[in-house]
Amino acid sequence: MPSTEEGKAGAWFARVSHEISAAWAISRKDMITYYIKPNIIVMGILFPFFMFLAFAIGKNAPPGTLIPGLIAITLLFSASSIEPVSIPIERRVKTFDRLLSAPISLHSLVFGESLSGFLYSLGIACFPLIVGIILFATPIEHVPVLVIAMALTAFCFATLGTLFAAYPTENVGEVMSMLNTVRLPLIFISGVFIPLSAMPQIGQDIALLSPLTYGNDMIAYAYTGTSLFSPLLDILVLVIFILIFQFAANRLYKRFNE
Amino acid sequence: MHAIEVSHLTKKFGALTALNDVNFSVDVGETFGFLGPNGAGKTTTIRILTGISYPTSGTATIFGHDIGSDTIAARLSMGIVSETSNVYDDLTAWQNMIFSAELYHVGRVEREKKAAELLTTFDLYERRNDKVHGFSKGMKRRLTIAMGLVNSPRLLFLDEPTSGLDVQSNLIIRDVITGLIHEGVTVFLTTHNIEEANLMCDRVAIVNRGHIAAIDAPERLKKTIQSAQSIVVSFDRVSARQLEEVRSLPMVNDAIKEGDKFRLYTEDPATVIESVMEYARTRNLRVISISTLGPSLEDVFIKLTGLQRTGGAIHAID
Ligand SMILES: Nc1ncnc2c1ncn2[C@@H]1O[C@H](COP(=O)(O)OP(=O)(O)OP(=O)(O)O)[C@@H](O)[C@H]1O
Ligand SMILES: [Mg+2]
Repeated sequence: MPSTEEGKAGAWFARVSHEISAAWAISRKDMITYYIKPNIIVMGILFPFFMFLAFAIGKNAPPGTLIPGLIAITLLFSASSIEPVSIPIERRVKTFDRLLSAPISLHSLVFGESLSGFLYSLGIACFPLIVGIILFATPIEHVPVLVIAMALTAFCFATLGTLFAAYPTENVGEVMSMLNTVRLPLIFISGVFIPLSAMPQIGQDIALLSPLTYGNDMIAYAYTGTSLFSPLLDILVLVIFILIFQFAANRLYKRFNE
Repeated sequence: MHAIEVSHLTKKFGALTALNDVNFSVDVGETFGFLGPNGAGKTTTIRILTGISYPTSGTATIFGHDIGSDTIAARLSMGIVSETSNVYDDLTAWQNMIFSAELYHVGRVEREKKAAELLTTFDLYERRNDKVHGFSKGMKRRLTIAMGLVNSPRLLFLDEPTSGLDVQSNLIIRDVITGLIHEGVTVFLTTHNIEEANLMCDRVAIVNRGHIAAIDAPERLKKTIQSAQSIVVSFDRVSARQLEEVRSLPMVNDAIKEGDKFRLYTEDPATVIESVMEYARTRNLRVISISTLGPSLEDVFIKLTGLQRTGGAIHAID
């Protein structure tokens, strides 16, 4: 019976478009409300920049070659800083109840929250990108690969931020310090500052567990044309990380929501 | 089909039982009041009915949709006004309204129309482009209610809609709610304002410590405690010991001071009127007014929740 099939498809399409537009509304609300909060500016923009500066000065490499790594850690810190700030605040002022009681699936809520961190970090990562192009004339070998690499890395860490923000607290500092115990070590074991080949075997093994390894690797490939893994493998692993974080976040929000 | 149907709902927070085997149903179009002291479990009930919180056991359905398994369908017909005015301070009143409409899938044209209409009703239209940040408590409360109505809900949850507001905000809110009731919207209202429950609700559930002590129409609840009739009397002079003296008159069960009047609880108003007149004569007082009152919803409430009056104040007894 084609008519009911069509009806079903129509209902499904309407449902999905509702979910997407609600997720988009959530992330737009985050943009207006949280992008300029001091915590986010410090952790998302200033911190990665100074961190990198400190290492770059020590390294004595031509500044242009440092741009891919700077983009990678800028994405890590900015993407994962929005939700750990916005969600505890929303818990405190009880607006989070609005989101939890809205007629949308928890997946859309998680996705919408992550979307705002994703867009934020892409915007922020344009700074090192443009600085690289203008000041150091850093060549980019594969522009489309760079776009995909940045998007996936940004989304992966935005979802990681949403995942950590599931911890049921009204205190921003609590989520931030948990998150930092994970993301600070990431920058040392993911080949950003120290190439993987220069690390002991155990370090290299641990690096395989870090999504930043693959994001950084793929961004490096986009710039130089050489990388540790094939870009396809990087894409695959990043997508898997995104799915793991998304489903874990979904579970945790449900579970902590007594 | 009922608008709300709750069956054997129990909610535990660790060792604390916030709701204990609660059962009730609310008819379509009914205004149902949940009346209870602080900590009775009113907000917990709303949080479960709106799917924010999960019951430890038991079920709840909204227009036939199970809130646990058919959550989205159940929520589409609801408007929720929570206990705290949870508006976004950094958004304008207008942005708050539109955001709420978007969460509830209200179409673009419809949501702008509805937002303008509701902001006007709640006397906030002039301020629509201001950030909510600077709004007064009453304005935030009104905005919260407006946000809860943006999807034209068939069922409205109101968690203490008017507590702590001034007369003007109160009036606007009560007017709007009364209007919705006339339009056939089902209203689930929690309050500890007994007068509000008495005025607005078709039926009231009296809850205490997670139990429902009684459910009935306000008038019928009052009839159940005929023993709590009272005499209200005022004298031309007031002295410090009068309260104690009238309390010890024959057939008086209890006495409280209400402003310049005394309220004497009794099962036998006729006898008490006589002894009050006698008391006034012996003390050289003139009775300025005296009247008999039936039991109030407050009396029912006090009786059923095990609270106790002492000297005009209400205290919980453990
Ligand atoms: N998340 C929670 N964790 C632990 N205990 C809770 C939680 N939420 C509510 N309670 C407890 O459950 C009981 C009922 O609380 P609830 O908020 O439902 O009361 P209420 O009737 O709404 O009171 P009020 O009139 O003060 O708003 C209280 O004892 C409260 O402390
Ligand atoms: Mg409450």
